[in-house]
Amino acid sequence: MAKALPLEGVRVADFTWVWAGPFCTLQLAHLGAEVIRIETATRPCVTRMLPPWADGNFGVNRSGYFNQYNQGKLSLGLDLKQPQAVAIAKELVAKSDIVCENFAAGVMDRIGLGYTVLKEVNPDIIMIALSGYGATGREREFVSYGPAQVPLSGMSSLTGYAGRPPMHVGISYGDPTGGLHGAFAVLAALLYRARTGRGQFIDLSQQETTVAVLPEGVLEHTMNGTQPPRQGNRDPFMAPHGVFRCAGHQRWVAIAVRDDAEWQRFASAIGHPELAAEPCFQRLAQRKANEDQLEAVVTEWTRERSPEAVTEVLQTAGVPAFVSCSNKDVAEDPHLNHAGLFVALDHPEVGERQHVGIPWRMSATPCAVRRPAPLLGGDTDYVMAEILNYSAEEIRRLKDEKILN
Amino acid sequence: MVSAAYAAKLMADLGAEVLKVEPPRDGDPTRRRGPFPGGVADAEKSGLFLYLNTNKRGITLDLRQPRGRELLLALAADVDVLVHNFTPPQMQAFGIDFEVLARRNPQLVLLSITPFGLNGPHRDYHATDLTLWNAGGVAYLNGGGPGGEDLPPLKAFGQQSEFQGGLNAAIAGLGALFARLRTGEGQHVSVSIQECIAAILELTFEYWPYMGLVASRLGQKPIQPLDFLECRDGWIFLCCVEEHQWQTWVDIMGNPEWAGLELFENRLTRAANWDALKLLLQEWVSDHSVDELYRAGQARRVPLAPVSTMADLLRSEHLKSRGFFAVLDHPQAGRVTCPGAPYQFAATPWTIRRPAPLLGQHNEEIYVRQLGLTPGDVAVLQERNVV
Repeated sequence: MAKALPLEGVRVADFTWVWAGPFCTLQLAHLGAEVIRIETATRPCVTRMLPPWADGNFGVNRSGYFNQYNQGKLSLGLDLKQPQAVAIAKELVAKSDIVCENFAAGVMDRIGLGYTVLKEVNPDIIMIALSGYGATGREREFVSYGPAQVPLSGMSSLTGYAGRPPMHVGISYGDPTGGLHGAFAVLAALLYRARTGRGQFIDLSQQETTVAVLPEGVLEHTMNGTQPPRQGNRDPFMAPHGVFRCAGHQRWVAIAVRDDAEWQRFASAIGHPELAAEPCFQRLAQRKANEDQLEAVVTEWTRERSPEAVTEVLQTAGVPAFVSCSNKDVAEDPHLNHAGLFVALDHPEVGERQHVGIPWRMSATPCAVRRPAPLLGGDTDYVMAEILNYSAEEIRRLKDEKILN
Repeated sequence: MVSAAYAAKLMADLGAEVLKVEPPRDGDPTRRRGPFPGGVADAEKSGLFLYLNTNKRGITLDLRQPRGRELLLALAADVDVLVHNFTPPQMQAFGIDFEVLARRNPQLVLLSITPFGLNGPHRDYHATDLTLWNAGGVAYLNGGGPGGEDLPPLKAFGQQSEFQGGLNAAIAGLGALFARLRTGEGQHVSVSIQECIAAILELTFEYWPYMGLVASRLGQKPIQPLDFLECRDGWIFLCCVEEHQWQTWVDIMGNPEWAGLELFENRLTRAANWDALKLLLQEWVSDHSVDELYRAGQARRVPLAPVSTMADLLRSEHLKSRGFFAVLDHPQAGRVTCPGAPYQFAATPWTIRRPAPLLGQHNEEIYVRQLGLTPGDVAVLQERNVV
């Protein structure tokens, strides 16, 4: 018999959409919770409407973005604009342990599914609201989109090439960072409830969870009234420390030399042991002072080689280096494939596609992605009949009235 | 460094009793990274260390010595979680072996955060935050932009690979504690930082399996405006995803004639002609202040945001009204303001209970009062640099 998963028997009513909220509930699904997404066909999750679509053909069940971040979950199609649908949502909350949502502050209250209402329905419910700005404060009702969270949190003012404008970080980083903090908070609340029987409301601000991972920036300001200048890929305590051009179209390698001893090994590894004794590079302070020149020396060596070859040579010498991986490089990475990160379960509309699975392994309760992302409303019958005890006839009527979909 | 310390910080700030174990003499490497008051390096005043280790007690222990490893076993006999970010070769050298630890303490949850996991061809590869951010694929998505082919993939500020590893470990660790409520048994949880980064590639990872496309940081964005513009006193990030947001923004600008050009008629053509449009927007924006545009845009539901500086965050009325920033009172560093509760629990609030430990501050408390060594034993250990 398969071993029980950590959150076996825990049910999540998932009202989230886009990325932050679904990333939070994805962690709970990974740990074995039964996560039921509440989805409205007339206003599907934003990610169902975004590419990449399988083989380039649009369809609400064909988005790789949605299918990546909703693995292992179920979907109940429910039109929350209708009062009876809201009543059904409450019935589901009554049979759930956790409610997650990431609408702007106030939206759940307006729908009639705010915490005070849901607490009446289920007194020990744990509810988390992941909003851009939090549930209180003067900007609580401001509109927050993922890409704008990175600049809002201060991350962009710290990120960028030296002497150039603030930059993005390549992804809407506030979303996964908020989602992960949210999953941790929910688990802490579950442990508390297991001991005391009490649920609670958790107010999470994506802005705050992102500032929480920028301590070096915040503390430079609070200690010294300034902030670290944008410095590309450089580091104050390591040099060389950068991403260097390699042979081939847009091939790059990341290299970090952590100390003077590593610099000596680096110099030998690239066939220039004499560099180690070069006065302008010998110690960290000298390498920092002559960093442009230092990086030119490194590039001279890397540009003739593939990033894989550079990685191999430097790792053999004990120096941290790795290919700057594209999505394709990640998908084909022999180590990640060997380690079992990827999952390709059979999905009714897109077939077996490679998805990123669970980034941890547990020895006693082996977590695994148990099912592919749900079709929109694909589990309505199961949820209505098995969890909420509706008859087939009632379900048919609710579908006819477009309360269910 | 950061990953294991952050996982333990998340737990400590919600009430767990956390003991920070550091090597004697130099202590944790974050003690040397700063930032430092006045820019003067001081192992007891490093901002990163203080931030990560507030609410913890601290001892020193040299795991390279056999007696140090014995003491670790004794300590691990009486804890719920042991979290570390040693590499697999270090684990072997320091005796972090789940079988051995679990024999002494069957309820132990061992949380191992490693660069590449415990198995596979790259298991023993050397890594830093930078190389892992690249190995997981996020760096390749950032930097450059149109005309920026010669600029390298760009890391995000700070040590984000480490924070992601710590967050995932904290989640899996609490999952294991929850499982233990039912089974009564601990387990070994392994977190690979490379995998944690590969798990946050937003929509880009699936471009390969779904469409056979390599995602690039270069070239045009699919839609615009989603870009940085410089105001007279700082930067804003203009974000108009929906058509009504753009129309509202045009209205806020006073409906300039150029905004009606066919070139800019929808978000796709605005992206295709972004070079031209950006110049026009930049010119208009440069006469205005960040705060004025932020208020004007948000008042009409345009999701633009300021490019906050650290000073902006500290003086934000919004963050103040939420009580976000916390003040640490540390015996050597004094009063230090830092990021506080990232979430507000109605019943079990995030709290600061004690300052970050001085190096070895709780050695006597732990070794004598908890493990039952004599003060004489501890003196010998100190002499031999075990603690």
